[in-house]
Amino acid sequence: METKMTNKWERLELKAAESEAVRKSLTYWQDAWRRLKKNVLSMVGLGIIILLMLFAAFGNFFTEWSFSDQDLDMSNLPPTLDTFDIGDGTLVYVHKEYTLYLVEEDGAKLTKLPIEDKNVMKKYNGYTVDGKTVVIDYSLAAKAKQSGDADAPKFQLIIDDQSFTVPTGQVYNKVYVLGTDRLGRDMLARLIYGARISLLIAFIATAVQFFIGVLYGGISGYIGGTVDNIMMRIVDIIATVPLLLYVILLMVVIGPGLKTICIALGSVYWVNMARIVRGQILSIKEQEYVLAARTIGASTWRIMVRHLIPNALGPIIVSLAMMIPNAIFTEAFLSFIGLGVNAPMASWGTLANDAVPGLRSYAYQLMLPSILISLTVLAFNFLGDGLRDALDPRLRK
Amino acid sequence: MGRYVARRFVSMIITLWFVITITFFLMHSIPGGPFSREKALPEKVLEALNEKYHLNDPLWKQYTDYLQGVVVLDFGPSFSRPGIFVWDKIQEGFPISAKVGGIASLFVIIAGIPAGVISALYQNKLPDYIVTVIATVGVAVPSFVVATLFIYVFSEKLMLVPAYGLEEIKSYIGPTIALAGFSLSFVARLSRSSLLEVMQQDYIRTARAKGLSELSVIFKHAIKNSLIPVITYMGPTIASILTGSFVVERIFAIPGMGKLFVESVGNRDYTMIMGTTIFYAAFAIIMIFLVDIAYGIIDPRIKLGD
Repeated sequence: METKMTNKWERLELKAAESEAVRKSLTYWQDAWRRLKKNVLSMVGLGIIILLMLFAAFGNFFTEWSFSDQDLDMSNLPPTLDTFDIGDGTLVYVHKEYTLYLVEEDGAKLTKLPIEDKNVMKKYNGYTVDGKTVVIDYSLAAKAKQSGDADAPKFQLIIDDQSFTVPTGQVYNKVYVLGTDRLGRDMLARLIYGARISLLIAFIATAVQFFIGVLYGGISGYIGGTVDNIMMRIVDIIATVPLLLYVILLMVVIGPGLKTICIALGSVYWVNMARIVRGQILSIKEQEYVLAARTIGASTWRIMVRHLIPNALGPIIVSLAMMIPNAIFTEAFLSFIGLGVNAPMASWGTLANDAVPGLRSYAYQLMLPSILISLTVLAFNFLGDGLRDALDPRLRK
Repeated sequence: MGRYVARRFVSMIITLWFVITITFFLMHSIPGGPFSREKALPEKVLEALNEKYHLNDPLWKQYTDYLQGVVVLDFGPSFSRPGIFVWDKIQEGFPISAKVGGIASLFVIIAGIPAGVISALYQNKLPDYIVTVIATVGVAVPSFVVATLFIYVFSEKLMLVPAYGLEEIKSYIGPTIALAGFSLSFVARLSRSSLLEVMQQDYIRTARAKGLSELSVIFKHAIKNSLIPVITYMGPTIASILTGSFVVERIFAIPGMGKLFVESVGNRDYTMIMGTTIFYAAFAIIMIFLVDIAYGIIDPRIKLGD
């Protein structure tokens, strides 16, 4: 009996005590980063964002073309070329406009062949390649359109009286890796340039929203009282107005362009930011450290910038991460209705807009910028969701 | 109740006035008049035009005249197309847009809410993953991409629906999907998270504890309350479906308000831009007002007297 009692109060061995060592204390930001790292989706989002930025910054190394180089002979070439072998391993590509290109060295060299016999009435184009006559007969196109079958052949290639309708092979376009647009500009170079413009607009517009929103919300929340009341009623009124209309209106008033988009987006969409900041400041300003700062004679400006805003940063960052995709979205939208950056500048939105008239034949021209827009928005959404969880002090462990 | 409605009504009127004023002064701050062309008009013609459209009046007079006009729905004549009045064009375009937009809004409600509910009830199971993935992608893909892809796949490749116009019932499918896509995904996400939150509340446990069947717990107690944030969102949704129509109507060649607005922006038709902007804004503001009132009626927790 006695021994049992003593056993009950046996001393812990040293090792057991050590295993309960105090966890290293983490600052708010270290903890947030630790939790963000655990969130797979937001890390994927962050990865995509970094890749996109690298793509915008260094993408140029992968293409020898500049965004404004145009060559009308090389317009609307797809990334993969359906080729016909006309004998002796000579490959030709029939363009959707029924012109003929010589494909050499597995797609590393493309030459547009001169038409020798053009007949618009009978609908054929005649060529001579390697001493052979090659005729593209596109009189089938009208019938194919009527048949209601999208796969019906639109042309036949007649090589020395032999007719072909099905391509014999496929090679990658190594001259223009992602193809060309309707003016013969390299899509990859345009997409890289578009990434720069789209991301630039997104970041600048968000920065403008940030400054206006934080200042407005900060002042409103810190001063409080009647000033706060009036300032917030103004925000309420602005918030009920469909803001896109005013972005469009501003674009009409100042004239489209890179600067205008940044100004228009930044000056209109700050309302949410102002509300969030005000809410944060209202609760923070009652805390002791603010009182302490005031007691030692810190100016209002100093209290705002050094004490209040840094402590409200969590929700601000979350809403910033959500505003960037919004800006990209809106910019694409504006470009799409013809209020975007001016040619030859390009953003993803203008690229998508340019692709619409030729969508029927050259779908890749729309797909590429659309995929990039969607991917960027998705990545920022993932990151924003993760940040919201990571920066929420209530979820801190 | 009456006081709440009255207060909201007054603030709606103030917002409308604000919209009209901002729009008016923004449009009048454009350098050069509405008739400045690349090739300058003869001075006499310009003067006659300015006289005809009262552009020589002092700005405040033009403003008060315009304000008076708007009250009786007179938005003045179009500047770029003589003989055409802004209000007539709006009356032509709006019913078409309203029809497409109405169908899209209905689609948002009847597809978005059930999707969110199913997703919440099967949390972390296959249906949830499917809904979440679709909704996440739906929020990220711009409406013009949805619209053009729809045309590309269903009219060009499969030839199932006409690519443009609204002659057949089938042709409503594309515009509806493109218009509703974003809001649908958003509503699905919103109703999912809202229902998940409600399901954890004490009164749900009480309902279960007193032996109600799971179905009646979900349908009678949980869903009703979880829909409140969704209803609040419906006002802005209608506004976003409206503004989404700028692009969708252009792509599907629907002769509605959106097309009118984009066209007038393209033509720099000042009065038309002003008229359509104010009309759009007014419509959205009135929708938000109505939703707010409905919200006040549905949710007894909101003190209407405040």
